[in-house]
Amino acid sequence: MREKILEVEKEAREDLARVDSAEELEAFRVAYLGKKGKIPELFRLFGEVPPGSRKEVGAEINRVKEWIESALKESRVSKPAQNREESLFDGTLPGIPPKIGSIHLLQQTIDEITSIYGKMGFEVVEGPEIETEFHNFTALNIPLNHPSRDAFDTFYTTDGQLLRSQTSTVQIRVMQSRKPPLKIVAPGRVYRPDTVDASHSFMFHQIEGLMVDDRVSFSDLKGVLHLFLRELFGSATRVRFRPHFFPFTEPSVEVDIQWGKGWLEILGAGSVDPNVFETVGYDKTRVKGFAFGLGVERIAMLRHGITDIRHFYENDLRFLRQFP
Amino acid sequence: MKISTNWLKDFVELAPPIPRIADRLTLAGLEVKKVETLENPQDVLFEIEITSNRPDWLSHIGVAREIAAVEGLSLKLPAPDSETGRNPPPGWKINVKDLEGCPYYTGVLIEGITATKTPDFMVHRLAACGIRSVSLIVDITNYVLLEYGQPLHAFDADLLQGKEIQVRKAKSGEKILAINGATLDLKQEDLVIADSGHAIAIAGVMGGKGTEISERTRNVFLESAFFDPARVRKTSRRHQLSTDSSYRFERRVDPEGVDYGRQRALALIKQYAKPRHISAVIKAGEKPGLKVKSIHFRDDEIRATLGCEIKSTQVASILTRLGCDAKQHAPGSWKIGVPSFRPDLERPVDLIEEIARIFGYENIPETLPERAPGLVGESARLRIEKKLRRFLCGLGLHETVTFSLISDQGLDPASDLATAVQIVNPLHHGLHWMRPTLVTGFLGVIQRNINAGADSIPLFEIANTYRSPGKQKHPAEERVCAIALYGKFAAKSWKDAARPVSFYDLKGIVEAVAEYAGCRELCSAKAVRSYLLPETSQEIRMWQNPVGFFGQVAPAVLRQWDIKDPVFYAELSIDKMLAPGDAPRKFRDWPRYPAVERDLSLMVRDEVRCSDLMHEIRALGGGLVSGVGLFDLFRGKRVPEGFKNLAFRVVYRSPEKTLIAEEIQKLHDRIAETLVKKYQAQFQK
Repeated sequence: MREKILEVEKEAREDLARVDSAEELEAFRVAYLGKKGKIPELFRLFGEVPPGSRKEVGAEINRVKEWIESALKESRVSKPAQNREESLFDGTLPGIPPKIGSIHLLQQTIDEITSIYGKMGFEVVEGPEIETEFHNFTALNIPLNHPSRDAFDTFYTTDGQLLRSQTSTVQIRVMQSRKPPLKIVAPGRVYRPDTVDASHSFMFHQIEGLMVDDRVSFSDLKGVLHLFLRELFGSATRVRFRPHFFPFTEPSVEVDIQWGKGWLEILGAGSVDPNVFETVGYDKTRVKGFAFGLGVERIAMLRHGITDIRHFYENDLRFLRQFP
Repeated sequence: MKISTNWLKDFVELAPPIPRIADRLTLAGLEVKKVETLENPQDVLFEIEITSNRPDWLSHIGVAREIAAVEGLSLKLPAPDSETGRNPPPGWKINVKDLEGCPYYTGVLIEGITATKTPDFMVHRLAACGIRSVSLIVDITNYVLLEYGQPLHAFDADLLQGKEIQVRKAKSGEKILAINGATLDLKQEDLVIADSGHAIAIAGVMGGKGTEISERTRNVFLESAFFDPARVRKTSRRHQLSTDSSYRFERRVDPEGVDYGRQRALALIKQYAKPRHISAVIKAGEKPGLKVKSIHFRDDEIRATLGCEIKSTQVASILTRLGCDAKQHAPGSWKIGVPSFRPDLERPVDLIEEIARIFGYENIPETLPERAPGLVGESARLRIEKKLRRFLCGLGLHETVTFSLISDQGLDPASDLATAVQIVNPLHHGLHWMRPTLVTGFLGVIQRNINAGADSIPLFEIANTYRSPGKQKHPAEERVCAIALYGKFAAKSWKDAARPVSFYDLKGIVEAVAEYAGCRELCSAKAVRSYLLPETSQEIRMWQNPVGFFGQVAPAVLRQWDIKDPVFYAELSIDKMLAPGDAPRKFRDWPRYPAVERDLSLMVRDEVRCSDLMHEIRALGGGLVSGVGLFDLFRGKRVPEGFKNLAFRVVYRSPEKTLIAEEIQKLHDRIAETLVKKYQAQFQK
C-alpha cells in the first residue's frame, strides 16, 4: 500500500510538471481529485489495509492529497480571472521616488579638479583659513603699503590675524614643513571683503597648486596646465598663455581658454619667485618650481552655465537637486 | 587708463590693423581690455589695464615703448627743450624738511602769461583720455602726465604767501581745503607742500583750493617732484583720495621723468601760454637712483627657467628695445644696465620674464616634468570626509555650502560667542563672527527653502568651526560634519503616507554615521547648547570620547527665522572621529549557530528609560543575548496613565553551540522576572 501511495505521488509530480495551461490543470485536478481520481481510488483501497497501520496510511494519503490541493492553488497557470491580485496590477502607476541626496556642486568641482591633479601625482593638502600676515602676504612677496596689495583686501580678526585671501598660504606652510620634491594641490575657502553681487562673494573657493623640484621649468607649467584644462573642458580645448603679474611668481601667466568667439581667463600661474623660496628656507639656486591658482566657483559657473555666484551659497533645493 | 593711438603715433609707427597691435600688447602682458573707435576727430582708443609692477605703462610714451619692443621697432622720443631762464627767481627758495618723503623737488617760476587758449589737439587728446579741459596751464600739466607719466602741479604764484616753498610733514590739527572742495584733517604722517603760511597741497595727491590756477592767473609756480611711493599711498588711503597723480606716485614715477616732464611742460607753456619770463629751475634733494643698476646673468639660466633656448641676438634685441643696456661680456654671459623707469628689474629672473614676454609665451614649448611619479598620500581626514559625503548623500541628505562669517542671530553672547573669533572689518549685515557652530547657517537655508515651497529639507555640511583659545593664541579650526532635518521624512506618495521627521530620525542618522566611522557602540550624555531644547540635547561619545552633540533646535531660536515646525540638528567633529575610524576594516565572520528570537513585552512607569532596560537585558543574558531591539511602544487603552508598554525582541545566540528551546525559555523567563522586580514592571505575555 505504501508503495502505491508513493507511486501516485511521483506520477502526480511528473504530471504537474507537464501542465502548461488552465485546461490541462483542470484535467490534472480531475485525474487526481475527481470522483474517479487516483486519490479517491487510494481511499477505496483503504479496506485492505490492516487495522494496525490504518492511521499511518490514512495520514500518508491525506498528506499527498493536501500537497496536490496546494499545488493546484499555487500553480502558475491558474486562470487569470481567478486571480484578483493580478487583475488589479497596473504597471503604469508611478514608481515611488527614492530619497536622493546631493553633494554640493562646488565640492563636486573640487573633487573633479583635485582628482585630475591626483592622476598627475599631486597630493591634496589643506591649511588653516585664519592665517597670519606672514603666510598671507610677507612670505608671498607682497609687501605692506604696496599697490600689489590692492588686489587682496582682507578681513582681520580682533586679535590681529586675518582670513586668508588666497589658498597660496598653504604652499608656504607646506614648504616650511617639508623638503622638495613637492607636488601638492590645496583646495579651500578664501575670504575678501567684496560686496556680494552676481559675480562676487566675500567667501569663495580656490585651489592652489605647487610643484617644486630641482628641474622644473616654465615649459612644464605650460604642459601641466594645458593637460589639466583639456581633461576638465575637453580634449579640443584651446588655451592661451598671457603674461601677467603676481608677486609670488615670476614669470607669471594668466591662462585663458577659448569660449565661444572670445577668450576667458581661467587661472593664474607662474614659476615660483626665488624670494618665496628664500623665505621658506629653500636654497633658491637649487630648486625651481611652479604654482597655479584657480577659482572653483568660476569654473563651476562656466561649465554648468550658472550666471549668479549666489546660487552656490543660497543652497536652494531646486539648485542642489539639479546636481546630484 | 585710456590710450589714444593718434597720440602714440608721435612716438612709434603703428602698422595697421590697430586691433592686431592691441592683441600683441595683451599677449605681452599689457592688457588691452577694449578697443574703441572715435569719430571727429578720428582716433582709436585702447582701454588698458596695467599690473601694479609696471607704472611705466601709465603713459603714452611707456605704451609706445612696449609697442616698439613687441613690434621690433624703434621709439622716437622728442628731444627735450631744456632752455629756461638763466637766473633763479630772486628770493625764491625750496626747503624740503622731509627728504625721505620727498627725495627730489624742483620748481620754476613762470611770469606774465599772455595767452590762455588750449590748442585743439590738446583738448581732443585729453578728452579722448577722459580728462576735461580746464585751463591752459592745468591742461598742459595733465597732458604731460598722460604723455610722460609724470604728475606736475601748478600753483598761482600770486596767491602764495612768501617765497619759500616747504615740503614738510603736516602739523597736528592742520587742515587743508583741497581742489575737490573737501576739507581734509591732516595727520602728521601726511606730507604737504606749504608756503610760509599754510599747507597748499597734499604732496603727490591733490592741490589746495587757495592757490588753484584760475582764468586770472598770470604768474605760475610749477612743481615737478618725486614723492616716496609708500608715503603717498598711505596718505591717499587715509583720506580715501585717489587721483591720477597719487596713482602714479604710489607706484613710483621715473625719477628722470621729473626733469623730462618739467621740460616738456615748459616747452608747451612757452609755445602756447607765451609767458614774459621763465626762471631757472630751483631744486632740492637728488633724484633717487635704482637699487640695482645692472644685472649679470647667463644664458643657461634662461634655459633652466623657461625650458627652451633663446638666441643671444634675440635676447640682446629684446632687452635693448625695452630700454635696457644689454652687453654680452663673455659668450653666454650678460651684463644688463637697467633704465631708470624699471625699478622692478633687479634679478636675473626679472630679465628672463621680460625676455619670455616679448619672445612670446606661445613660442615656449609645452613639456611635462621629468620626475617619475612617486607616492601620493591622502590625509585620513580627507578620506573620511569623502566617504562621509557619499554616505550622507546616499541617505538622501543635501550638502550645503554656507558662509563661515555669521552674525550673532540665534546665538548666546555668553555661551556661544565668548570664545568665538571676531572680525574687525566686517563687510555688512553685522557678519562679525567666524562661526562657532553651523546651526544658524542651516536655519537660514531652511527658512529660504520653506519660503520657496519645500516641505522636506534634509541637509548636511562639512566645514570648519572656529574658536579662539585665548588672547595671543592662534584660533583653532575644527572640521565638523553638521546635519539638520526639517519637515517631512519622506514625501507622501500614492502608496505611503508622509510622516514628519522626528528626533529619532536624526538619532538614527547619527548612529549610522558612528557605525560607519567604525564605532559600534554609541553612548550619549546630556549636553547643554543655548540653541537646543535642553531635554533633547545629547552629547555623542564614541570610544568614550565626546565627538559632538545633537538635539532639537529650541523654538525660541526657530522663531527668529520664522520656522514653525521642528528642526533637528547634529554636529560631529570629523577630527575626533578620525583616529580609530580610519584603519581598513577587518572582516568579521558571522556566527555559525542559529539565533532564536523571543519577544518581551513590559509595562513600566514613564520615567523608566529604554536604554536602561536594554542594557539590563544584555547584562542578564550572560553573553547569550546577541541583540535587543525595540519593536513597539504604546500608551493608552490597556495601559494606565503614567505607564508605557515597551516590546523588545531579544536575539539569543551562542557562539559555541545551537541553543535548545528549553534553555532559552528558562533564560528568557529569568530576564523577564528580574526586570519585573527591578522596575516594578508588569510582564505581558
